[in-house]
Parts: sequence; structure tokens; C-alpha cells
Amino acid sequence: MKRTIPITAIVLLTGVLVWVIWLWHPVADQSRVGRQLGLAAPPPGGDFTLRSWQGPLSTKDLRGKVLLIYFGYTWCPDICPTNLALITNALKALTPRELGRVQVLFVSVDPQRDTPERLREYTAYFHPSILGVTGTPAQVTAAAGLYGAAYHRAQAADSAMGYTVDHSAYTYVVDPAGRLAKVLDHGTNSDRIVAAIRSLLGGAGVKEGPISDPQGTMQREQRP
Amino acid sequence: MKRVATILGSVVFLGAAVNAGPAANGVEVRDAYARAVPPGQSNSAMFMQLTNDSGTDRALVGAESPVCKAAELHTHIHQGGMMMMRRIDRIDLPAGKTVALQPGGLHVMLIGLKQPLVPGESVDLTLIFADGSRQLVKGPVRSIGMPPMGGFHEPH
Repeated sequence: MKRTIPITAIVLLTGVLVWVIWLWHPVADQSRVGRQLGLAAPPPGGDFTLRSWQGPLSTKDLRGKVLLIYFGYTWCPDICPTNLALITNALKALTPRELGRVQVLFVSVDPQRDTPERLREYTAYFHPSILGVTGTPAQVTAAAGLYGAAYHRAQAADSAMGYTVDHSAYTYVVDPAGRLAKVLDHGTNSDRIVAAIRSLLGGAGVKEGPISDPQGTMQREQRP
Repeated sequence: MKRVATILGSVVFLGAAVNAGPAANGVEVRDAYARAVPPGQSNSAMFMQLTNDSGTDRALVGAESPVCKAAELHTHIHQGGMMMMRRIDRIDLPAGKTVALQPGGLHVMLIGLKQPLVPGESVDLTLIFADGSRQLVKGPVRSIGMPPMGGFHEPH
């Protein structure tokens, strides 16, 4: 009986140790990002310039549109395709006029594997209004920092994956004036995505009538 | 020569899997499917429901598929807004319980796809259990745009 307490203590401590080794590190990395941004302060959002297959793309040139910005990577087998599928279904529910005022950006946090050409192929599978962009590791880090998106490359020596990328899976919704307006959780259903887009498009996106940024002009501005 | 070897290998492989018998270990597999992938995509995932009717605790310890270089057991840890995918050694299948491999959680990762996964086609997967038994599972390839039952509710 006397031995029970030390053995229990050893088992408990071993459990804690195992937990610390396997689970604590990635979380520590994430909270470090959180601290840099200030947990109390919501992410500010802001403009960035990254590269698509068309060349440099600056969010400044997308004023007048509602932007959905998602940070992920193409090797992601599940989380990213799930969110992109939900976004795609939301885009399909929009009228052509509304769709002309929406741009989705899939920002790859894995520029080593995801070239702009690779991203073109990947995003085209989902919807033509989704554009894949990426940049140097420093540019991607800066863009993610603006929105509070966190990611961390996790070596996976035990897996044929080689490495995976831990990442937050929020969709950042930017209003036509370029301000971060909403943050949608992972797995947000398509109806709620549609509602978020429509609330920012306001009447102009729904009703017929002249709009200040004809779609053709906006699309030309995207190209360098 | 290479092709003959591949065909022979496949025949031996499939033969071994089928011989194991679907009900040999009392684990029933339902709703197995693989996710269709965008062009050029080298990885996908397979999902299913595993019901252990055997009266004995079982565990899934591995998988093999002719469609990919490696099939691994993976899980997602969803913590503090971070999605972390990790390889795991086993998926416990307690007696009398159903364990769901579904989007956002446990899955069989198909790594290094040798062929595109096109909706309507079917994927062979051999499940390997802790007691050494094997079970061949066939699952259709499903479009990404139509996630299954489980976590996400979508308009069809």
C-alpha cells in the first residue's frame, strides 16, 4: 500500500511529461504568435502584396470588393479542402452581380511546395473566384501577422508527408473599404458565409443599378 | 517485366487481403470513401465508420492501398484555433463501439497518389489490425464539394 502513492505519482508525472512533449510545443508556438499580436487586441488586418500566377497581387487594388482571405496549403488533405468547398458552395449561391464583387484569396503558408502555378491549378478546381497567392517566407509571415493567422511547420519524420504545417483555419472577411470586418471559424457553413458576404456588400451588391467599380475594371487592376 | 511484376504483386496483395475476409475479426466497416483531389494533388484521405461487434477490444494499426505510396493513420488536433495533423500509431476500436474516421478528425491519409482520384471510381484499402488480421475495404471516390454526413452540413 505504501508503494501505491509513489507509483501513482510516477505514472501521473510520466503522463504530464508525455503530454508536455507531444502537445505542448505546437501550442507554445501558437501562443508566441498570439503574444506578438497581443491577445487582447483583435488583429488589425491590412494590405499586403503577394504573387499569383498572374503576377504580383496587392489587396489595395481590390477595393470595392469583399475579400475572403484564407491561409492554408495545398498538401493539407482535409481542413483546407473542407473550408474551400464550403466557400465554393457559398460563391455558387451568390448572384452573378454579387459574385463580381467578391474575391477569395487562398494564401499558401507553404511557399516551398506551393508555387503560384501550382496554386492556380489547385484553386481552379474549386471556383474561378478563388485566387491562390504566396510569396517569400517573410512576405507570407507579414501577411499572416496582419490578420492574426498562425502557422508553424511541423517536422514529421515518422510520416511520408515529410512535414506538415500546423495552421489556424479562419476565413478573414474584408469589407469593400479594405477593413477586416469578420473572422469566420473553421467549418462555417455556406449559408453563414453567404450572409457575411451580403452584409458587407450592402444594397449595392443585391439591387440593380450603377456601381462604382465595374467588374471589368477591377479585374484589369488585378493584373500587373 | 516491371508491369508483370506489378500485376503479380497486385494479385498477391489483393488475394491476401480478400482471404482475410471482411468479417473475420468482427469489425464492420461502413460508409468508406476517399476524397477526390484537385489535379496535381499528391495526397488525399479516406474516411469510414468502424463498428467493433467482436466483443473484444481491437485496434487499427495500419493501412495499405495500391493507389498511393504510403497509407498512414492520422488525426487532427484542434487546439486554440490551430489545426495540427499528426500521424498516430493506432486507432483504438473498443468492443461494441463505433469509431468515426471523418473530416476534421481521424482519417487514413493517402500519401503520394499514383493516380488521380476521380469521383465515381473506387479505392481499395487494406486495413491492418493489431491482431495481425487484415480487411479489404472498397470505397468510392467522392467529390470534395459534397462532404458527407458528420460535422458539416451543406446544401446539396
